[in-house]
Amino acid sequence: MIKPGYGKGKKKRVKLIQKVSFKVFSGETLGIVGESGSGKTTLLRAISMISRPTQGRVKLQDETIFENTKLHQRINGRIQMIFQDPDSSLNPAMVVKDIVAEPLMPLKVDRKKSEELVRVSLRDVGLDEEFLNKYPAQLSGGQKQRVSIARALVSHPLVLLLDEPTSALDAAVQAQVLNLLIDLQKQLRLTFIFVTHNVFVARYMSDRAIVLYGGSVRELGPAEKVLVEPLHPYTSTLIAAFPVPDPKNRNLLGMEILGEPPSIINPPAGCTFHPRCPYAKDICRSEEPQLREIFDDHFAACHFALEIFNSKKGVGS
Amino acid sequence: MMEELLKVENLWVRYESPGGKIHAVNDVSLNLKEKEFVAVVGESGAGKSTLALAVLGLLPTNGSTTGNIFYEGKEITGLGRTEWEKFRGTEIGMIFQEPLSSLNPIENVGKQMSEALEVNKSRIVAKTRLYDYSPASRVMLGQSRLSLMRRPRRVRNPEVLEWLKKVRISDPESVVERYPFQLSGGMMQRVMIAMALSLRPSLLLADEPTTALDVTTQAQILKLMKGLVEEQNTAILLVTHDLGVAAQVADRVIVMYAGDVIEDGLVGDVFSNPLHPYTKALLRCYPRSAKARERLETLGGVIPDLKQEIRGCKFAERCEYVKDGCRAEQVRLVEVEKNHFARCTLHY
Repeated sequence: MIKPGYGKGKKKRVKLIQKVSFKVFSGETLGIVGESGSGKTTLLRAISMISRPTQGRVKLQDETIFENTKLHQRINGRIQMIFQDPDSSLNPAMVVKDIVAEPLMPLKVDRKKSEELVRVSLRDVGLDEEFLNKYPAQLSGGQKQRVSIARALVSHPLVLLLDEPTSALDAAVQAQVLNLLIDLQKQLRLTFIFVTHNVFVARYMSDRAIVLYGGSVRELGPAEKVLVEPLHPYTSTLIAAFPVPDPKNRNLLGMEILGEPPSIINPPAGCTFHPRCPYAKDICRSEEPQLREIFDDHFAACHFALEIFNSKKGVGS
Repeated sequence: MMEELLKVENLWVRYESPGGKIHAVNDVSLNLKEKEFVAVVGESGAGKSTLALAVLGLLPTNGSTTGNIFYEGKEITGLGRTEWEKFRGTEIGMIFQEPLSSLNPIENVGKQMSEALEVNKSRIVAKTRLYDYSPASRVMLGQSRLSLMRRPRRVRNPEVLEWLKKVRISDPESVVERYPFQLSGGMMQRVMIAMALSLRPSLLLADEPTTALDVTTQAQILKLMKGLVEEQNTAILLVTHDLGVAAQVADRVIVMYAGDVIEDGLVGDVFSNPLHPYTKALLRCYPRSAKARERLETLGGVIPDLKQEIRGCKFAERCEYVKDGCRAEQVRLVEVEKNHFARCTLHY
């Protein structure tokens, strides 16, 4: 359970993430889907201890990394993160080989070994030796993101946290990077936590998926269930709003989307999605729904998850 | 028969840069009819934003153009600044990607919107001190003249509330009092759209208007734009890198690559029967099947260096169908099917 919050001023503590609990299994990809302000990035930063959680526990294999308010173990490069924007996450004044070698510095790897690891890591992402002495400005968007991946891999991590790794890229480059990530996962037995707002990318990449809204988990389950036959009305909205590249299926024009994402500072009472939910009833305005297992391994935090699901099935068949 | 609203003929745009001339837009011709919703799509570096800026006469100072642009049959290419002011905003409206950098951070929404309306209507030169207009209205009205203009009286135009309601802002009375930083990205973009629309342009140019927004907000804005075409007969030229967005809203799609128009056709034709290998490849790159882990098709290589003068097809380096003839001479845009054009030797 993780509950990070940033202390902002004296008056109010903003809860960015609340009561989020999940497990990730070795070698799988857990997709985390949500819009801006849903807490996706905060969650990754909390897991990687870039920003310490206010409360909760993070375990890696059998080791407790963080419990309550205390850091118990150093991560030592076993969890690495890849950021969305390679332009701001690669130091423009450093050459590629130094950028990639950075995670090795706190691990006190000797120089020779470090150079070897950098070469291997760059080769893994498909960049040859001519890139060693280039600056980020000399690289294309796709190449920069490959450098970010190489940097994350150099310390041989178990878990890779990917924060929208392809959303700044053009479609053609995105496809290359996604293929590369899948190859690397197989080859190096990596575990991915993959954050994206793109339902199609999440569907493509994930084994299981989590849908976040207003800092809490709304739906959790196998990706082909959550992102195809969702239980939560928010997940349905998210899928329906995604522009499908097919003019015969103009999903977007047929739908009605209400309102705005919730305020993090003054979240609505009850279910935070209720002001935008077409199914909202009185109970939704007063009582916060808990995450329940609706079908096997498929959880949703909605008072009417099953009813809505059944009524849709009824209409569909 | 629908009237021709915008006509671009043989437009070339070059940027001077320290490393040489950049060939940003090459020999582009297009026309836009009334009520038409056209999407210009392509990867970064395709020249789509440059095309939009050239139509608006807003290219940066290192850019130069040749060719002709007609608006309602009248040539607007060589217009002077004062003449441009009559077009920009009132005839041709615009929305940019970043609403935060287009709105004035130190003025509330109501004032910025009134300002655009007032100044535009009567071109008031009021008597008080020199006035710092918001960047958005400055763009709409032309910078030179505004710098000499003075502050209009502090009256909120009643139309402002009306327009905010039209863009589905649920609580316009409170929104007019707010400053841009107090609004979400979607709200700001809707304010920008309301501002652009309040001047009742016949043509709206939108450069990646939803790229920085969440998908649910994007859906709202796109629906709104689609509604404009239907209800107010506004023609829209939408620049986007997202084929999904184009597929959802456009009537016609123009695909650009390295400064060239390589395909142009009705949205149904382009998506169901893409004629150019680039369009085909790009469409295949989108992950769409739920069957995870099936390898995605990719498109290798990158857009060629725009500083080089390239003989023949610019896509040849990355094309799976490339043959000898492709690099020999300039490839023409040919009408392959009715109203469906492609620039590829496969279709000669």
